[in-house]
Amino acid sequence: MAKRITIDPITRIEGHLRVDVEVDNNAVSNAWASCTMWRGIEKILRGRDPRDAWLFTQRFCGVCTTVHAMASVRAVEDALKLEVPPNAQYIRNLILIAHALHDHIVHFYQLSALDWVDVLQIPKADPAAASKLAETLSPWTRNSRNELKAAQDKVKAVASSGQLGIFANGYWGHPAMKLSPEVNLLAFSHYLQALEYQRKALQAVGILGAKTPHIQTLTVGGVTNAIDLDSQAALGMDRLEMIRTLLADVIQFVQQVYFVDVCAVAAMYPDWFKIGGGVRNYLAVPDLPLDSKGSAYDLPGGYIMNGNIAGTRPFKTAADKEFRDSVSEDVTHAYYHGGKPLHPWKGETEPEFTGWNGEQKYSWVKAPRFNGQPMQVGPLAQVLVGYAQGHALTRKYADLAMGKVGAIAGIQVTPDMLHSTLGRHAARAIRAAMLAELAQKHWQLLVDNIAKGDFAVHNQPVFTEHEVEGVGTHEAPRGTLSHWVVVNNGKIKNYQAVVPSTWNASPRDSAGASGPYEASLMRTPIADAEKPLEVLRTIHSFDPCMACACHTFDPEGKRIAEVKVL
Amino acid sequence: MKRVLIAGIGNVLLGDDGVGPCVVRQLDSTYSFDEGVELEDLGTPALDFIDHIAGLDALIVVDSVDNGKTPGTITLYRKQDLLKTASSVRMDTHSPAIAESLLAADVFFGMPPREVLLVGITAESYAAGCNLSESVRAAIDSAVQHVLSELARLDILHKKKEASPSNVWWSAVPHPQPA
Repeated sequence: MAKRITIDPITRIEGHLRVDVEVDNNAVSNAWASCTMWRGIEKILRGRDPRDAWLFTQRFCGVCTTVHAMASVRAVEDALKLEVPPNAQYIRNLILIAHALHDHIVHFYQLSALDWVDVLQIPKADPAAASKLAETLSPWTRNSRNELKAAQDKVKAVASSGQLGIFANGYWGHPAMKLSPEVNLLAFSHYLQALEYQRKALQAVGILGAKTPHIQTLTVGGVTNAIDLDSQAALGMDRLEMIRTLLADVIQFVQQVYFVDVCAVAAMYPDWFKIGGGVRNYLAVPDLPLDSKGSAYDLPGGYIMNGNIAGTRPFKTAADKEFRDSVSEDVTHAYYHGGKPLHPWKGETEPEFTGWNGEQKYSWVKAPRFNGQPMQVGPLAQVLVGYAQGHALTRKYADLAMGKVGAIAGIQVTPDMLHSTLGRHAARAIRAAMLAELAQKHWQLLVDNIAKGDFAVHNQPVFTEHEVEGVGTHEAPRGTLSHWVVVNNGKIKNYQAVVPSTWNASPRDSAGASGPYEASLMRTPIADAEKPLEVLRTIHSFDPCMACACHTFDPEGKRIAEVKVL
Repeated sequence: MKRVLIAGIGNVLLGDDGVGPCVVRQLDSTYSFDEGVELEDLGTPALDFIDHIAGLDALIVVDSVDNGKTPGTITLYRKQDLLKTASSVRMDTHSPAIAESLLAADVFFGMPPREVLLVGITAESYAAGCNLSESVRAAIDSAVQHVLSELARLDILHKKKEASPSNVWWSAVPHPQPA
């Protein structure tokens, strides 16, 4: 008899990811992913000046502010066929890279590492042995016995104060936890250090963006950073040097700690290369443009159908015609009024709430489709399309990661094994290592271009009476983000954002095809239905972001997560 | 010099959730404060809130609350009240994390804000839109006074500014009606 488990965090009023799974014979036999809140924020943009849209869109979400700002200015630029000066491209790229590094570090350590790391084991660890083990894995200088002992003391203090809730995950002592006390300690010590290094990445965003959260220096047609090498008020050598120093620290942390930890943890859970695959259609857009036209990019894009890596189709540009023409959103199982799937430029957002019914409508997330098919987006998609195209930087770090995991685990790791829960974590670490290298490159590109005497940062947008359409894409930390705008007579007529988590958290479509979260959970083994850690592991591997919404404080301390076993 | 942060929290696109940022912007455009006092519209931060609050002498948060009281009611909460809500299962990186950030600043860095006050305004509606409900709008002045009283308690001076142009940009123009 199948049991139903509902995981429904009710932190705030609403707006969260809810997952329902049926468990039969200790494995998931059916799954539904849903979002519990209608947003419809796009409607606020209708009638407004397209040059202001990014200020509003960066308020869609408190964590991904910059990504929605960037996609928005790009959408309007695409509609106006407006180019962006090289300095502006490099400054934007540096902001995007720094933000992504911050985001990937926080995701791994603060969100998902504790799905694999058992805090309760840490007091039993021998810090000297842990330090010795660390030396064999990485040249990182902050793995000393003293540093590890200090981390261990913090855990002991937290445990004795009864505040373990701070770790906000919490299936300690679960039978699916496999790491030794020393590895648990090492990972936790890096959890603490990650908080320091993610902050440095945000500081770099803050210098280039004037403040964080909510950067101020974007504009349709470029950026507003004044460049003057001799000035302390403008973007000059002082600030560029601060950015370089901050990024250098972050780069070292990513390459010597985050990348290594993901490989080591993956090597100790090799079964999870066989779990959590699901939808094997992948989509990624090119990003980090290298010139004003956007004719060359440092991150390749494209798509893969049915796991056929050899048959990858590349996208030439960030607003590729095939991408433009092939996206639609299906509302068969979403709480919206409507019939057949609509292209985002024609998109409607008319709510029709009917209550949760797995056979009919059950989510506020629409089902985005590419040529009618569900697609998985995120670092794994980006790494696979790059790997298939022989992209040198992708190959460099993907091969390094697969080799490292293989050497520690004593197994052969192949690209096909990346269609999995661990594959998504590995791909995010691979992407972070690539971005770390690209951070240095784009900093140098900016400095060299300024040194040539080019100080241009902005091209003036010109609106006409004609109706124009544009799409702005960004390969965000969670995957392909696209903003779609229709501009009429200088005003916004329609605006739709198709965000990464709607691709991944999508409900079923009219053909009954499940979205990536849902498909990835099928056949996942569940050791204890009361503590569905395995479901969280796979969902977390996508880096979900459903709560880009209300932030109301609930002071009554209600139960925050509800795990119902029916 | 005392380091104090007055933080407005909430999504300005979701109706009354924007009241925190509105109150902070009103304070900023109406008063000047002693050196060391920062005012920030932080939107909807997650764990990056830690970086804003670590090492403060005092943190004053203004946020909408969902506590079942009459919309527009102001309720004050102290640190212990906030810590009761630390979550047990985190699904996503984006969930708000006021309680977790307070704990993290304390146990991980040993730098919790020494004094914490949350000025909570009971919301009426979170429907998408840039304007506040009448009930909540009417509570803004009172929320401002609560913040000023807390500053006075902390021996921090404020002065009324001469000119006070509104800096609430998201509702500066009326919400356009859908075409």
